Amino acid sequence: MLTAAGDDELLDPVVGPEPPTETATPRVLTIISHVMEKLVARNEWLAKQTKGFGKSLEAFHGVRAPSISIAKYLERIYKYTKCSPSCLVVGYVYIDRLAHKYPGSLVVSLNVHRLLVTCVMIASKILDDVHYNNEFYARVGGVSNADLNKMELELLFLLDFRVTVSFRVFESYCFHLEKETLQNGDDVSSLKDNRPMQESL
Amino acid sequence: MVMADLGKLNVEEPPPIWGSRSVDCFEKLEQIGEGTYGQVYMAKEIKTGEIVALKKIRMDNEREGFPITAIREIKILKKLHHENVIQLKEIVTSPGRDRDDQGKPDNNKYKGGIYMVFDYMDHDLTGLADRPGLRFTVPQIKCYMKQLLTGLHYCHVNQVLHRDIKGSNLLIDNEGNLKLADFGLARSFSHDHAGNLTNRVITLWYRPPELLLGATKYGPAIDMWSVGCIFAELLHAKPILPGKNEHEQLNKIFELCGSPDENIWPGVSKMPWYNNFKPARPLKRRVREFFRHFDRHALELLEKMLVLDPSQRISAKDALDAEYFWTDPLPCDPKSLPTYESSHEFQTKKKRQQQRQNEEAAKRQKLQHPQQQHSRLPPLQHGGQSHAAPHWPAGPNHPNNNALPQVPAGPSHHFYGNGKPRGPPAPNRYPPSGNQSGGYNQNRGGYSSGSYPPQGRGAPYVAGPRRPSGGGAYGVGPPNYTQGGQYGGSGSSGRGQNPMGGNRNQQYGWQQ
Repeated sequence: MLTAAGDDELLDPVVGPEPPTETATPRVLTIISHVMEKLVARNEWLAKQTKGFGKSLEAFHGVRAPSISIAKYLERIYKYTKCSPSCLVVGYVYIDRLAHKYPGSLVVSLNVHRLLVTCVMIASKILDDVHYNNEFYARVGGVSNADLNKMELELLFLLDFRVTVSFRVFESYCFHLEKETLQNGDDVSSLKDNRPMQESL
Repeated sequence: MVMADLGKLNVEEPPPIWGSRSVDCFEKLEQIGEGTYGQVYMAKEIKTGEIVALKKIRMDNEREGFPITAIREIKILKKLHHENVIQLKEIVTSPGRDRDDQGKPDNNKYKGGIYMVFDYMDHDLTGLADRPGLRFTVPQIKCYMKQLLTGLHYCHVNQVLHRDIKGSNLLIDNEGNLKLADFGLARSFSHDHAGNLTNRVITLWYRPPELLLGATKYGPAIDMWSVGCIFAELLHAKPILPGKNEHEQLNKIFELCGSPDENIWPGVSKMPWYNNFKPARPLKRRVREFFRHFDRHALELLEKMLVLDPSQRISAKDALDAEYFWTDPLPCDPKSLPTYESSHEFQTKKKRQQQRQNEEAAKRQKLQHPQQQHSRLPPLQHGGQSHAAPHWPAGPNHPNNNALPQVPAGPSHHFYGNGKPRGPPAPNRYPPSGNQSGGYNQNRGGYSSGSYPPQGRGAPYVAGPRRPSGGGAYGVGPPNYTQGGQYGGSGSSGRGQNPMGGNRNQQYGWQQ
């Protein structure tokens, strides 16, 4: 749960000696937030039509949707856990794999936050030699340690432990993300960084 | 022969039963191993009667969540399918004991346990090699080496580095099949993006010079060095480079293989720790001299494996083409190998261990000789310490913490990754409290203790008379296989001679 009472107030996790500095938000974070927000919006509409969002992602469902936006939530994860930006892409790959594997189960506002924190955490475990543990991710993500462990395991099994992302796949996801934002002429022009995304990772 | 393996990478997902079955589908027969990773059981699948090994994944560290080593091992083993690589058959879960709000048993896997289900294997190479009275024949050594190289070649072709090749991770069943096991340190590599890998891998005695010199970019050649060490060990009947720490390990390597310089190993002087470790005076390569009793083809192959410069070291593929495997006596058919008794009396063994320890402890007190000097147990490597330590406190009362080998040579039913901490906690270089702060996760998680030394290979090998193995290796006397060898009786790890037994030399051709 995003905090036990279903309240989504997120406290600053107690962090190490150096408080998080104002790191520039990487472009990839903005793009992924954007893509996820669009996905959720579309799925919410779908769920309303079909009156349901499937069962496979049940473990990630909250009582109600947290009020923090996807972008703010991802920023928070990125800022405190200092995960490498690539973890965000790989986390996105996991979500995409889920969506393809369980087409009947939708990523919606009730589960998107928990999915994101779990995916990014696993990605960071796989990719980053130095990474925070589950306990810390739980505090950052506003969930309990036990719940996060549960979700981690659930995700690993849902993915059949397919947690490797080859360089080629990684690259193609970068292109895909980039294209997605360009095609829709979405408002990401505010991004200062105009380099191709994978270069900045 | 080699090429046949290439197509085997299974990209298809297995049927979606992973994790959906309960451990109740198996009947646990007995515990056959215990280590930092948790327990290993021999079990029978109730429906089919098939015997398997169940390795429990340790999940008791809530803060860390699912161990990264387990994630790695599972994801790697899931894509490897080869007769010389241990097969992860499935993952099963055990329902938690907790009950949910309605008082129904909480049927979720998170609170219970997660088990990896493996082929059941009777022995490991180290244990087998140390059975009293047992000597491998030449065709047998060739057969094991060939299987080892075939399995490793398969891993390398599929871009997996094993990173912990050693005798106790080479499991052997009673049909003579050898399988690589314990992929807890393994990782994928790619040729174009190699770099920034940890050099704290591979058990010290089998660790190649480039890792000891601090390389963080490396490839399949690291595994081939380990293979060379095992090869020589099989022929020589004891470990060839038993260093006690990194520095001594490098010195031993240089004494055997000569000291490196820019001529024989371009770039070596720029290795991170070269200046700390370079020998005071140049040393000559003495592999041929040391192992002059080896057969010519064996020596030729070994020379190519124990090459200091990793870029010049022979690959698994080329090693399989070596004359050694294609000259008489040819590698035998695994099925022609004798079966060895394997015991699964974990309890009995434990008792026996305890007894031995008591004896040894008494002896040690007399001798005032707290650290064994010549154990066959390699020291720990760094990576294993963080999680491992809490489970094996250096306290004097821990049954597994005795400074002397606990398990007599003999039944070697080492299971999958059964790198039980049977050795001493090694030179006290690593403090027993390895608690990591800040969630930094070291390479080796708690469930798999491959970094621990292999199971006791009998008593410390004192510089006793050892039978020259090489010269005789070509079948001076066909060896015998003591079927019911008393394991545990004497502490002697010497491999006795025995004139019985048949020549196992069979026509090669067990594998395409």
